[in-house]
Amino acid sequence: MRKVAMLAAALALVAAPAGAYKLVAHGARVAVAKSEMTIDPPIDWNRQQSRPGRNAEAWTLDGIPLNEVTFYGGIEGGKALFKEVDRKNKPLPVFKSTMLTPDVVQLFEASYRIAGGSSLFEVGAVEPAEFAGHKGFRFRYTFTLEGEEVKRLGEGTGAVVGRKLWLITYEAPAIHYFDHNLADYRALVASARIPGPQVTVE
Amino acid sequence: MGSRLIAALAALLLVIPGVALARIKADETFVFPAGKPVRIIFFRPDVKVGSLGVGSVEEPNADWTAAAREKLSAQVAANQKAAGNEIVFLPEQEGDNAQVVADYQALFRVVAGAIAQHKMFPGASLPTKAERFDWTLGPGAAKLGEIGGGDYALFVSTHDAYGTAGRKVAQLLFAGMFGGFIPAGIHSSYAALVDLRSGNIVWFNIDPGSGGDVRTDEGATKRIGQLLNKFPTAAPRAAEPAPAPAQ
Repeated sequence: MRKVAMLAAALALVAAPAGAYKLVAHGARVAVAKSEMTIDPPIDWNRQQSRPGRNAEAWTLDGIPLNEVTFYGGIEGGKALFKEVDRKNKPLPVFKSTMLTPDVVQLFEASYRIAGGSSLFEVGAVEPAEFAGHKGFRFRYTFTLEGEEVKRLGEGTGAVVGRKLWLITYEAPAIHYFDHNLADYRALVASARIPGPQVTVE
Repeated sequence: MGSRLIAALAALLLVIPGVALARIKADETFVFPAGKPVRIIFFRPDVKVGSLGVGSVEEPNADWTAAAREKLSAQVAANQKAAGNEIVFLPEQEGDNAQVVADYQALFRVVAGAIAQHKMFPGASLPTKAERFDWTLGPGAAKLGEIGGGDYALFVSTHDAYGTAGRKVAQLLFAGMFGGFIPAGIHSSYAALVDLRSGNIVWFNIDPGSGGDVRTDEGATKRIGQLLNKFPTAAPRAAEPAPAPAQ
């Protein structure tokens, strides 16, 4: 009988919407990821209502599996990028405010391997880049999700400012989609604004 | 990164019967260009047939799957011949061509999952695409046309899991004791036509409660007949009979 109850619960799960989306209209600056980061989108986007993390938010044009932009808004020290998937057995690594660019990229990779179930994850080029008027970084990555054969490419741009991590990532299938919407992602990054570092007077 | 959960849910949407809330709205105005022969490359269909136990654990059955793939392919050929479309079966490829075909088949599965998720569920509709059906594999899909020698590609996917005897007993018990419903099995299928010059999906149909036992000739005929019911034809379809005038 327990199995029957589990089946009923599983059916109830799939009978609910997989995720609702709301319009992000172009031409109006919006706050993202429950944070002080704001974006001025040049085109309309769809915002996924369920959040991948407490201070994260995902947008898409054609569906999350086809083009996904994720905003990480001011991740504080001691916090993970995503919601925990298996805190007891596979806890997610956490951000530390003293992290340098290579550490942040490593944190991102380790988080994906756990939360995304992606063992085929490779980081490509990592380079300095400006992010919201601050010195930051940009990196490329590739991965294939478990149970799929589609190779995806990704790009992340961000900075550690005010002891918090601010990051915007973009990922899409390598065939057609990644190149097709890369400029749309970069336009979002170019419009990003974040608060400046807080100055503490001792 | 949300891809994994979304993809899993989209895959479930494709196989769980009775959860569809809306019909797929493809571009029903699509017609093949007039005055030119139409060659449609038919890709090896994704066919999965197995059994489903009480705990919803699915066991694939290789013999059923192989038989169903053969019967369904034969029915697609017969169906398209009757519709006046020329079908070219894509032979097994080797080397780079095999990789190109595998890559595009994998991409198609992801795009089909996105269509199923966002077009079947009003609650998961994308606001920017609510009134449009503009899904694509990208212009690089032209390579498939060069490999297979055709202008269009037809993809067919079916997934069937037949309930075991134990599951049927549980179904009756659950219905009798609680008035609840356990699906007898999984029967789902979808098909798509891709214009290989643009990569655009110009026709798409999904049938989450597919009929016809694909393990039999008769069932395969029914399944393909339902799935390709409104498939575009090279020749114009016969006009619907005019309604009888009111007395």
